[in-house]
Amino acid sequence: MKKTIQIPLGSQHISLLEPIRFKFECENEKIIGVDADVGFVHRGVELACTRSFEFKQVGYVVARVCGLCAITHSLSYTLAVEKLLGYVANDRIKYLRMLMVELDRIHSHMLCLAHTAENAGFEALFMQIMGDRELIMDVQEAISGNRVQFDYISIGGVNRDLTPELVALIHKNLGLLSNKIDTLIGMFDNNWSLSLKYKGVGVLSLEDAYIYNALGPLARAAGLATDVRAETSDFPYEDIGYKMILESSGDIHARNFIRLREIVNSIEMCQNIVNNLPVGEIQEKAKGKPSGEAVVRVEAPRGELFYLVRGSGQNMLDRVRIKTPTFSAIPAMMEVFKGAEYADAPAILASFDPCMSCTAK
Amino acid sequence: MRKIETTLTTLLSDIGAFYEAKKWHFLSVNGIDLGEGKIELQWIFSQYGVKDEVVIYYALSDYETPVPSIVTLIPSAFMGEREIVDMFGLKVEGAVSGLYLDEDSLPHPLRGES
Repeated sequence: MKKTIQIPLGSQHISLLEPIRFKFECENEKIIGVDADVGFVHRGVELACTRSFEFKQVGYVVARVCGLCAITHSLSYTLAVEKLLGYVANDRIKYLRMLMVELDRIHSHMLCLAHTAENAGFEALFMQIMGDRELIMDVQEAISGNRVQFDYISIGGVNRDLTPELVALIHKNLGLLSNKIDTLIGMFDNNWSLSLKYKGVGVLSLEDAYIYNALGPLARAAGLATDVRAETSDFPYEDIGYKMILESSGDIHARNFIRLREIVNSIEMCQNIVNNLPVGEIQEKAKGKPSGEAVVRVEAPRGELFYLVRGSGQNMLDRVRIKTPTFSAIPAMMEVFKGAEYADAPAILASFDPCMSCTAK
Repeated sequence: MRKIETTLTTLLSDIGAFYEAKKWHFLSVNGIDLGEGKIELQWIFSQYGVKDEVVIYYALSDYETPVPSIVTLIPSAFMGEREIVDMFGLKVEGAVSGLYLDEDSLPHPLRGES
């Protein structure tokens, strides 16, 4: 008779930087069953959005859901409320919002790649990628005034405009980062510890990606062609050079490469935005109080972020529903773990780039 | 966004007839408290590769009527079903509480009277 043992991973673990706990059922070194506990830092944000804050304040509340994709959260909420107010932003506002979301994607993907390098034993590369990531953090701080928890997007526009000095800084830092990403792509493609070691490990098949509703880089690495940027018309992504990035093998290596290639595309898009910024106001009046129900989907760095907002013409909203990428990705993540070696679990987990701050909103 | 009304009795057959894994991305299970012990339950989908195509199946119910699980049709739905058990105190077939809340947490915080 085969003997199985239960092994926990997290919520405090040297390879796991997020408060999530996996309970693995292992047979020798192989994982045959898994359960996930995600509620360690639940903060009741949805409740607060309808009981403690008026709709004009909620955009600044949901920006606190996550330190990495704060812009994406405040943008999703703001778009939903603007739909309820019947307001459509001008092109300049849309471009500035896209700029900040794509900058979010770049630094978030770099954080994930740094953790992947750390899990491969590359402490120095981890530090190098985190250092290079500062090029984007500096740009976001210069634009928004904050290093994290950016309060840049507001109902009817954005809070700050680009100055010539900011445009010069954006071009300079994106140019520097572009060269560094080229080097990183070479390392992740040729170095044994970052390349061959991760091929065939933590595989999500295309069939399972459909069955478990995988999303974001996890889905695109398995060949599932889904990206909210291509499935919504809120922003003119085609005009600024958006390309859907796909891989097919569904393993750790493929997920790393999806992120690296998306960084390259996001850099191109940011440069195009700055070079072709339309003329217009950055803040317009969006009058009234939200009435009705609106849904908004935005592609966050980890995949689809979904907001549903319902109001009845009052200052307080009836419902703010937040469905985050990692929450939706957990069923697919659990499936990938089954059959994997326990020793590979930290590397597989890092390649998913889980965000529990978002999940336990 | 299209909203299609269903009932808890016909939910499984309605979603079973609608859902194709390679066509529809299952987004979420959602609840909205309507007051006076009533709740609107939602099952939300988007279509792969089609712009702005979101479909919401919804059913009006109360807090006492058991909610059928759609996990047999959509395996990933168990997370959303566990969430509405915690947040609204609903009884969902096969879904246990404790995804987000601990024993000493505020019970069913998104219910209107909470």
